[in-house]
Amino acid sequence: MNPQLTRRRFIKGVIASGAVAGTTSLWYAANGQSRPAGAVERMIRLNVNGQDRTVDVAPQETLASTLRYKLGLTGTKLGCNRGECGACTVLVDDVPTYACSVLTHSMKDGRIETVEGLEAPDGTLHPVQQGFVEALSPQCGYCTPGQVMAAVGLLRANPNPTREQAREGLAGNICRCGSYDSYLDGVMRAAEIG
Amino acid sequence: MAYMHIGQDFVPPDVAGKVTGRIKYAEDYTREGMVYARLLTSPIPHARVLEVDDSEALAMDGVFGILRAGDVYPDGEPQSTGLKILTDNPTLVGEPILALAAVDEKTAESAIAALNVTFERLPFVLDPLDSLQEGGPNAYLGGNTFGQQGFTEAKWTTDQVASFRAGNTPAEDLATTGPIPTFVIGDLEAGFAAAEGGYVYEGSFTTAGYPHHSMEPRSAMAYWEDGKLYLHGTSQSLTALANDMAGIIGVAKEDLVFINAATGGGFGQRARANSIPSMAIPAKLSQKLNRPVMMRITREEEFTIGGARQGFQGWIKVGFRPDGIMSACDLFVVSDNGGKGGGADAFSAADCISILYQTEAVRFRGASVGTNTAHRGAQRGPGQNQIAPIIAPIMDAAADALGMSRLDIRVVNSAQTGDVGGPQGTPLTSAYMPEALRQAADDFDWEGRQSRRRQRNGSKVTGLGIGQGYHNAGRSGQDGIVMMGADGRLKIHSGVGNLGTYSYAATSRAAAEALKMPWESCDIVTSRTDNHLPITSPQDGSNSIFTNTRTCYGAAMDMVAKMKEIAAADLGGEPADYDISEERVHQIADSGVGMTYAEVAQRAMELGGRYTGEAELPEDLHEWTQIAASRLAGSAFMGIYHDPAHSNNPPGFTVTCTEIELDLETGKFEILDMVSIGECGTVVHPQGLKNQLVGGAVWGIGLSALEQHLYDPQNGLPASTGYWQSKVPTYLDTPVRIDTGWVDLPDPENPVGARGIGEPSQGSVSAALTAAISDALDGHIFGAAPITTDMIINHISGTREDAVALAQNNYRGV
Amino acid sequence: MVATSHDVMPDIELYQPADEANALELADTLGSDGWLLGGGQDTYGWLKDRNKSPAAMIELTGIDAWKGVSETGDGIEIGAVTTLTEIANHPLIQSRFSLLATAAGKVASPQIRNVGTLGGNLIQDTRCWYYRRGLSCYRAGGNICYADSPEGLNREHAIFGSSRCVAVSPSDTAPVLVALDAVMVVSSAGGQRLIAAEDFFVGPARDILNMTVLNEGEILTAVRIPNTWANAEYYFEKVADRNVWDFALVNIASAMRVEGGVIQDARMACGAVECVPRRLTAVENLLRGQARSEELGSEAGQLAVQGAEPLNYNHFKVPLMANLVKRAVRA
Repeated sequence: MNPQLTRRRFIKGVIASGAVAGTTSLWYAANGQSRPAGAVERMIRLNVNGQDRTVDVAPQETLASTLRYKLGLTGTKLGCNRGECGACTVLVDDVPTYACSVLTHSMKDGRIETVEGLEAPDGTLHPVQQGFVEALSPQCGYCTPGQVMAAVGLLRANPNPTREQAREGLAGNICRCGSYDSYLDGVMRAAEIG
Repeated sequence: MAYMHIGQDFVPPDVAGKVTGRIKYAEDYTREGMVYARLLTSPIPHARVLEVDDSEALAMDGVFGILRAGDVYPDGEPQSTGLKILTDNPTLVGEPILALAAVDEKTAESAIAALNVTFERLPFVLDPLDSLQEGGPNAYLGGNTFGQQGFTEAKWTTDQVASFRAGNTPAEDLATTGPIPTFVIGDLEAGFAAAEGGYVYEGSFTTAGYPHHSMEPRSAMAYWEDGKLYLHGTSQSLTALANDMAGIIGVAKEDLVFINAATGGGFGQRARANSIPSMAIPAKLSQKLNRPVMMRITREEEFTIGGARQGFQGWIKVGFRPDGIMSACDLFVVSDNGGKGGGADAFSAADCISILYQTEAVRFRGASVGTNTAHRGAQRGPGQNQIAPIIAPIMDAAADALGMSRLDIRVVNSAQTGDVGGPQGTPLTSAYMPEALRQAADDFDWEGRQSRRRQRNGSKVTGLGIGQGYHNAGRSGQDGIVMMGADGRLKIHSGVGNLGTYSYAATSRAAAEALKMPWESCDIVTSRTDNHLPITSPQDGSNSIFTNTRTCYGAAMDMVAKMKEIAAADLGGEPADYDISEERVHQIADSGVGMTYAEVAQRAMELGGRYTGEAELPEDLHEWTQIAASRLAGSAFMGIYHDPAHSNNPPGFTVTCTEIELDLETGKFEILDMVSIGECGTVVHPQGLKNQLVGGAVWGIGLSALEQHLYDPQNGLPASTGYWQSKVPTYLDTPVRIDTGWVDLPDPENPVGARGIGEPSQGSVSAALTAAISDALDGHIFGAAPITTDMIINHISGTREDAVALAQNNYRGV
Repeated sequence: MVATSHDVMPDIELYQPADEANALELADTLGSDGWLLGGGQDTYGWLKDRNKSPAAMIELTGIDAWKGVSETGDGIEIGAVTTLTEIANHPLIQSRFSLLATAAGKVASPQIRNVGTLGGNLIQDTRCWYYRRGLSCYRAGGNICYADSPEGLNREHAIFGSSRCVAVSPSDTAPVLVALDAVMVVSSAGGQRLIAAEDFFVGPARDILNMTVLNEGEILTAVRIPNTWANAEYYFEKVADRNVWDFALVNIASAMRVEGGVIQDARMACGAVECVPRRLTAVENLLRGQARSEELGSEAGQLAVQGAEPLNYNHFKVPLMANLVKRAVRA
């Protein structure tokens, strides 16, 4: 083997080569084809935490990107950006959803809720937030917004879960600190607070 | 002793920000004009970068510039192991070679793809035994290990490597190597002689060297303003890390503002600046480009530069006398130093055996060898927690062989106050392991459950396990500062990092305790170093509770003494005639004669001098604390303290009992019940302690059953970079409830009686779990952590001998 | 690899057709440059890593006709973009084809099931990590298999039916549909074709680049399950390392008609042992006319693994698969 490989040659040697598109319209131009009708418009209206927000969203943008970098809602965390951890969990029409692994355009007709939208206008914590405070559920806190949203979604569907049901409901959220037991204490407390 | 705060739960000030998403981690910040950096990391495991052609990338729209190793090391890269900021000599896949800043991440990624980098490939190695073998590749340019004499090359003969792989007794003259010392405690020969007629176990073992996987990737953002560097970063230790980070970046301590309100997990790898030098990249790039730079770190990058525990390939021989006393233990460990060196886990494992089991004779030998895999460094119980799950089933085998109960064999080998341990024979500050064992056994009904042991229920069989954990849990010699203004509120300055243990807050309460103040009248000052925070020890090694209750208590007691001086001067009598209560300093004889805290603080500010930190600061204050104190001087009434070094070893101990049901047909098991008990002196913060116990339990389950660390031997690529591939435990892999408790007896070397606990909580669970798995399988000893589904099935089904389990590292032998 | 430098979504066009005709037209026009997007759970990783680079995505989840569960004359039809959560909880599926509800509820994690679709779960690409990492293996158009080599990490790989490539079918629902004699409804601008579930999946000997028979421009729009096996005696089990997220090390789906303790007929399929869901026809033949028992289960298990060719690190799959067959028979 030639010990001196340029990075490009190396990459070509090991990575599947595929048609690399720059911008799509350029691709169509380069291929002498016309662009099919019906591609998404970038300016869309999103309903986030009860407010309508008009945002410029690229076709490929994930909901987590839009929330964090366009709307400044940094409570939604990127733990893995691959749907493997749950830190980015938000609710879309009450359904817990990994914001890193859905497109904003796919969710544009939904009612989007993030951790920032849970408190009452007077600052009263949502029962899940209050339950988590009382049980000291969070440790490092990075997964907490996702755990909160998964728990809110669970309690809307099942206001009085058993501890086992709570565990199933939150199962899509990793806590590397291992605070699962304390989160379950917090969910059960939240159900009591109602 | 009755305390106002110690032993009571409270709401730590950061928890509301965590449940509302308001608390900010480094990547949540933004700044006018901020640009985005991405990294080019090495695609090959060991290489030299010969040339980087960046002309095309730099010509792209929206690209601002790049940072190379030569920019950060103008005099050349350090000739040593250890993580570099950037390097032209990568020793693992994923090591950062350069950073490129652009208008957004997408542009930066496209520009990186347009770089033309020429590498010289170098031989690489993934298994330390392959490197030890004569003629085997070295992980580093200078050799395969690094010690006080610099790089060296350690080699065994082919026969010696083959013999070690086969699990044979390591020869007396088998070469030891690496940065960690070997040691012998007691008379090993006599210890094994005493075990004649008792029980002797000898066998090989392996443990996985898996990564930390903190939820928050180590992103950082930096900008320069008026000659000061503002660095938004992540750390376990606020001041200890900033103190060293200044040196790594090359900025004066006075000119570094490190901002770190919350850290998304640490587990050992964010305790010290040299374990997270990547934060220097946005700092240096920002300086070069004169713009704020955000460097988001991806999950995969967190894997490659975030560190890992050392993997072990070991051999162990343990002897028990007929009465169950562990009379001798002989340990030889080949430990995996990874691509950047580091770690003394194997030494700590042997040290742990001596302390936890009070073994009469212990010999430790080892070879500590580099591989072109993840950087190795401290991870929750480094060493102690790898050996705990290996020893537990051996103790059970001894108990069964000697006709003892598995509880009793642990009780007779356990540490108590007055005992010593480790190669120096260091006395323990206090120890109550027998109490912890009995409490765990009682809470779990260990004796009552013995009838269920190995009981069959269809294809399932019940296994019971009991395990112990240990870590040294306390330091000293640090500084404390408390301040009080004319409002009489106490401001406790804490340099402890906030990584989720709440110990920054819990230890601050020792100051409130000393001043007998209601918590509502106290504020914790922390989060950023321009709040002028005292130095403290890195928040690793389970030390914070012990270390910082000492400093906070000491600083508050300095304030109490000054209050009494002021009161005596103003109101007559001697300071000794005064006491404090209900936020007043008053005469003991007549409590009506006194001053409120607000009044005495006001008076202190009028007096100035030593009362406000303008004079007579304690000798031996750390330089960092001197800077903080000089900036606070004159602003308010100051209590300040330099904690003298304590002697002896404050241990943190845990005991765990568990019951599992293992399905012999699927190799899967369910944890039905688990009780974990902490023995960590007086309990400071029950909810925080509970969190450490349950969190450690999840880590113990990962260590003993799930977590893997794989590299492809063909090209050195990491194969377990994300949460999915690395098998971090989920809700459904852990018990629906983990019961916890604590012994709660005071330690004499801490003003509130407290010791730490964070690390042992993993070790005892890991030990109990391998013991329970072994129990369910008629006492079979795997000699491994983790024990995964495929290993269990292979064992039960008697699959061919060449059917290798691929669960831990890529170690070929043992 | 270069993948270590990539994490954000690249520029790519998105189409959100609202009706069938528009979707089929787009699929036809774009051909291999159009990526069919269901819930996206096997899409964004490929794109973020730059290991697949289509020019456009065609989102199928906006087409109501391809969603939901309905009665047909002789069974049910499930739209291909129905979410796995809906399938797991749907009363009709729970009451009649609980085998499918159970399997759908075992996929990945709750949030992935909430957006992940049945079609996506069936069509998802294999999880071989070498292939996923972007290496130029056979399946990626190259001429090497990194997993089937003396040092390859192949714990999760095939014990049957490999041909150059040793990757396995990762789906939990695919073996169920094979066991239930389901029919795949495949539409294109040129019309519709119906394909038996068993024939829908293809191994590397026939097509090393694709895991299904779908051609360019074709869309899986629905799955029909006949009443043949409605309310049969079912058994589904998935053995994975972790109980959330992980793909099966081996899974099994079984449907039996039993009268008076005697098996009248049976369908059985295992996932994660071959590139396709492996129908266990020999086992089905053995079982017919026999009483369920431990012994019969053991015999069936041994028969099921006949001819298995384990790789270095996956020998455990042989006894595991035999045991799962035994459990299905004994249950």
